[in-house]
Amino acid sequence: MTATIDTRVGVLVGPAAASSAPEAQRAPTGTPKLDWTVIRSLIAKDASAARRSKAVVIPMLIVPFVLLVGLPTGIGLFARSSSPPDLSGVFEHLPSAMRAEFAAIAPNQRLIELVLGYLVAPLFLIVPMMISSALAADTFAGEKERRTLESLLHLPVEVRDLYVAKVLFAFIPTVAASWIGFTLFAISANAVAWPVMGRIFVPTWRWVGLIGFMAPAVAALGLGVMVRVSARARTTQEANQLGGAVIMPLILASVGQTTSLLMMEPYWIFIAGGVVWVLALVLIRGGMKRFTRDRVASRL
Amino acid sequence: MAISCENVTRSFGDGLAVDGLTFDVPVGSVLALLGHNGAGKTTTIRLLNGVLKPDSGTCRVLGLDPVASGTAVRRRTGVVTEQAGLDDRLTARENLLITARLRAMPAKAARTSVDDLLERFDMASHGDQLCQGFSTGQRRRVALARALLHDPELLFLDEPTSGLDPAGTRAVMDLIERSARERGRTIVLCTHFLHEAGETSDLMAVMHRGRLLEFGRPDELAARRWPGLDVHLDLGGPVTSSLSADIGRLPIVVRVAEMPDGAVVTVHRRDDIPALVAHIVATGAAVYGTQSLPKGLEDVYFAVQAEAGLVAEAGLVAA
Repeated sequence: MTATIDTRVGVLVGPAAASSAPEAQRAPTGTPKLDWTVIRSLIAKDASAARRSKAVVIPMLIVPFVLLVGLPTGIGLFARSSSPPDLSGVFEHLPSAMRAEFAAIAPNQRLIELVLGYLVAPLFLIVPMMISSALAADTFAGEKERRTLESLLHLPVEVRDLYVAKVLFAFIPTVAASWIGFTLFAISANAVAWPVMGRIFVPTWRWVGLIGFMAPAVAALGLGVMVRVSARARTTQEANQLGGAVIMPLILASVGQTTSLLMMEPYWIFIAGGVVWVLALVLIRGGMKRFTRDRVASRL
Repeated sequence: MAISCENVTRSFGDGLAVDGLTFDVPVGSVLALLGHNGAGKTTTIRLLNGVLKPDSGTCRVLGLDPVASGTAVRRRTGVVTEQAGLDDRLTARENLLITARLRAMPAKAARTSVDDLLERFDMASHGDQLCQGFSTGQRRRVALARALLHDPELLFLDEPTSGLDPAGTRAVMDLIERSARERGRTIVLCTHFLHEAGETSDLMAVMHRGRLLEFGRPDELAARRWPGLDVHLDLGGPVTSSLSADIGRLPIVVRVAEMPDGAVVTVHRRDDIPALVAHIVATGAAVYGTQSLPKGLEDVYFAVQAEAGLVAEAGLVAA
């Protein structure tokens, strides 16, 4: 280092300028409002950093592509090329309305309809939960691991804004990956099945409810758990290990229940989705209340 | 006062991290916050900047209560944490710009200020490189630039020279000194580098296990412990016993200690030195040089450690 460091750093923005106007805007009057400039800045920071991290980007691209596009397409190709299996044993266990629906379509279309129209549905809840959990685990524990959290706490930023920014940073790409993945799935499923189906069979209104309402709710639920865990954990690995114990049963429950939901009347998707949203919001809101500067700094 | 603490206490679990801290720091002063690892220095900074809340006691920082008005306090302070705290996945410029945005600086002013600081800290050519590959010294410089972005009135520096080479250390200490003298900025400096702290600080605080062992101006604390001023006399060889006895009888002399090249004589005041030298020369002895050895921060620090029975631990710090 040369010994030329100068202290004339306040010529452009002096202390008074830095502290007067924004302070007046943010003066506490009851419960202060969220500062969306701060939230956007924090999200932009995390997004810039995440974009350069192969450990984040590659799983974000590969996992949805393999599970939401590759796997269903492979299944569709197999179903298209094989001779129609006897599915009567499966249909016996379906609700009567569904049985009638399947009875009305050609036998060679039934396997594709069953697999791509119903059985792959759990993947569309598992993937958002996986992505949101992975991103959420990194939120606070990652900052601690990189030793950057203390610097953030020393800034004139409300911790509530910090919390909301971290939640949104994990939520927005998750939902985007889920929706883009589903769009690609719908295109590839219809393309692969076109020779047999001769029509566009996904998305149905049930799928729209599942992807548009249920998947974001499940992502938010995963977030609600993992952000709280991440705030307590010291490393991302620790957050993943602690959070995994909670997330895994949720993933298994999703696998068990999603296909059933698609087979029921569409409003059940919205009822179930509503319950998951309420649970998720309670968890996220509770986490925000417990997330204080003092509490976080005590665990640095 | 820039900082005023009254009986501030903070514990974590069963352990007291800060115990009854009481001190005042005038505006424009440089306070050296000293102590072993775990003394409570970092917790003190966190309390003063409103990051932690005290269990009891009160403090005012820049006239504000950090508990009730933490955001307002942090808007006027800058902090360099013990770890530089830069996001390795961002460039130096991005690290500074994001901080400027979070501090609500206007975009144009932020960009100009960032360019200016990168230039001043000799980091302009590295501004667009990811911090991942930076040396410790480069990280420190970027962290310091970040803390100065908004021209804070109060600067908290937690080990700012840790990992810097001697030239870097000198430059940062010069910055701290000029920052306080020319800009009237108050600085709280946590460091283990006692020599540098001694050259820069107006005030010193020695902490141990959360308690304040000593606080005050280094020269005043030294004068309380060691009346008089040590003067090294280069006599071209060991002082003879007769000359030593002769000097010791002078009313201006407190004591005489023999040295291989002469003696260290303690006089009452600095003004006594000419008379001392004149007396020695009058006896026929040659005086090749004199050097005042005023006791300072470093001496006070180790004396406080010794008084508190912490000599062994103090030895570790000195090493």
